[in-house]
Amino acid sequence: MPIQIIAPAPFVTADDEEEDEGGVRLDLDNDGDIAMEGDMPSHRRTGREAGGIVTPGEIVTQDPQWMRGHGTYLSQPSFLTGGHQSIVSSLAGTISKTNKLLSIRALKFRYVPEIGDLVVGRILEVQTKRWRVDIAAPHSATLLLSSINLPGGILRKRTSTDELQIRTFFSEGDLLVAEVQTLSNDGQASLHTRSLKYGKLRNGVFMTIDAGMVRRMKSHVLTMNTSNGGGEVDIYLGVNGYIYIAKHTTPLTESGGPEGKSVSITRLEEEASEAIYSNVNEEISPETRAEIARIACVIGALAKNGVKVDEEMVHLGYEAALEEFLQGMEWGGDGEAGKRVVEAALAKRREG
Amino acid sequence: MEGLRNDGRRWNELRRIHCQLSTSSTNADGSSYIEQGFTKVLCNVTGPAEPSSRQKVKQDSATVSCEVYFAAFSGTDRIKRGRNDKKVQELQTAIQKTFSSIILTHLFSRSEITISIHILSQDGGTLAACINATTLALIDAGIPLKDYVCACTAGQSTSIFDNEGASPDPWLDVNYLEESDIPSLTVATVGDSEKIVALTMENKVRIERLEAMIAVGISGCAKVRGIMDKEVRRHGKQKLEAQGE
Repeated sequence: MPIQIIAPAPFVTADDEEEDEGGVRLDLDNDGDIAMEGDMPSHRRTGREAGGIVTPGEIVTQDPQWMRGHGTYLSQPSFLTGGHQSIVSSLAGTISKTNKLLSIRALKFRYVPEIGDLVVGRILEVQTKRWRVDIAAPHSATLLLSSINLPGGILRKRTSTDELQIRTFFSEGDLLVAEVQTLSNDGQASLHTRSLKYGKLRNGVFMTIDAGMVRRMKSHVLTMNTSNGGGEVDIYLGVNGYIYIAKHTTPLTESGGPEGKSVSITRLEEEASEAIYSNVNEEISPETRAEIARIACVIGALAKNGVKVDEEMVHLGYEAALEEFLQGMEWGGDGEAGKRVVEAALAKRREG
Repeated sequence: MEGLRNDGRRWNELRRIHCQLSTSSTNADGSSYIEQGFTKVLCNVTGPAEPSSRQKVKQDSATVSCEVYFAAFSGTDRIKRGRNDKKVQELQTAIQKTFSSIILTHLFSRSEITISIHILSQDGGTLAACINATTLALIDAGIPLKDYVCACTAGQSTSIFDNEGASPDPWLDVNYLEESDIPSLTVATVGDSEKIVALTMENKVRIERLEAMIAVGISGCAKVRGIMDKEVRRHGKQKLEAQGE
């Protein structure tokens, strides 16, 4: 005798909408394969009707022509599936297919490093010849002493003196911007900072958002002209969701060279001096601080409202925030104002 | 009031379940909040991340660790439960064991998944609410699971509500009063299958009654899964719409 379970009495709130199941329907049946009709157990079929999302335990397909990708696993053949092995989702997310490979993209996920990613990280531990860096990935990354710019030029050989002075370059808690150089078998990243674009971060604020909320772009270092006398501000949008917003520093100002000009090796020797590993902030005017805070709030609001952060959205969001005429600090935690700014930014984007 | 329990439910009626995903904006990778009647539980999941200690490193899979915190004000009496409290340890072990077998840990070698649960209010079925909250938080964190793990309680009353049955009906989803009054068990199943991953009982009951209690519990779990799945889909749809703009 099947037991009948009475559902709990509905509790209706003001913002409770009746579910309209007419949302986006993932149209996967172009080649007629993945339409899951037929011998499927009826309770497993509900998902595809409710807006393109699969949830853990949902059978994606039983067709043997598909290969199983990320976010899926093969179920044991059972009488329920008619003795077939089926590909089952293990995540809540959307289906993506590449040729015959089926994978599930989760709605929210932790950062997985890939070679060439620009990441912002924090030093966790100093070892004899390397640093361990937190980059919000399943494993902390390593930064070898040999893959940083040593003071005195890019071509200088690493010496034992450098090993002894390892803490003068980076010590625990320091923030840095780096690039993923290699990946080990289990996905542990090795970083490098062998470029003047990378290195220690100072003169600014650090913030985190979900890794998936940063759109991959050509360049993840933005320089923005701020208003209200804030001057130029650098934004390092780490692919790992770590973000650093700092006062713009021109690397060649002291030696008088023009900005953006390619740097010769001799010049580099001068530049890669101890100064780049300085831990002391420069003088930052209150105007710049306010604009840095405003940008931080804009990025936070974008991520919180589910809008991917990229160069365009940061610019539009900043403009919208200026028009809202709100001081960055004031609406930092204010969900409503953040939402307004994001909506204004989206409206601007639609206008083009 | 024939056939109703002291809170007005029938023998096979669940209490109201309200669940939410992504409740905590920072620090945690996934978070959830669940209310089952007046039992309220908050869950945060971090990971897979670098293990907090060397002992937790497993070469070929992720370690699952669980921390349970009882708010002092959560029960009828104000009780502070420390980390070494027997009840806390029992809950931690039960949740840790349950989810170690459900999370696809082999995908994340040498890392740790930390489940942290805050019990804000207890009104029966604490373990069940904790398990349900953890499932939702893990889904929110994007950690691969074999399937939903849903838990439910069932008690064995002495009164006969159903006219057809000769034996007393088991009660589904017991509240605090019932839990302290009659023998009850907590059962957790994997998805729609009737596979049991956790089953605990702290009282004595006649062996003939046990099967009916488990059967009612399992059916309750299936219903809970439906409710949770609906919330996950609603949340996912909302998120996709925001990103699609």
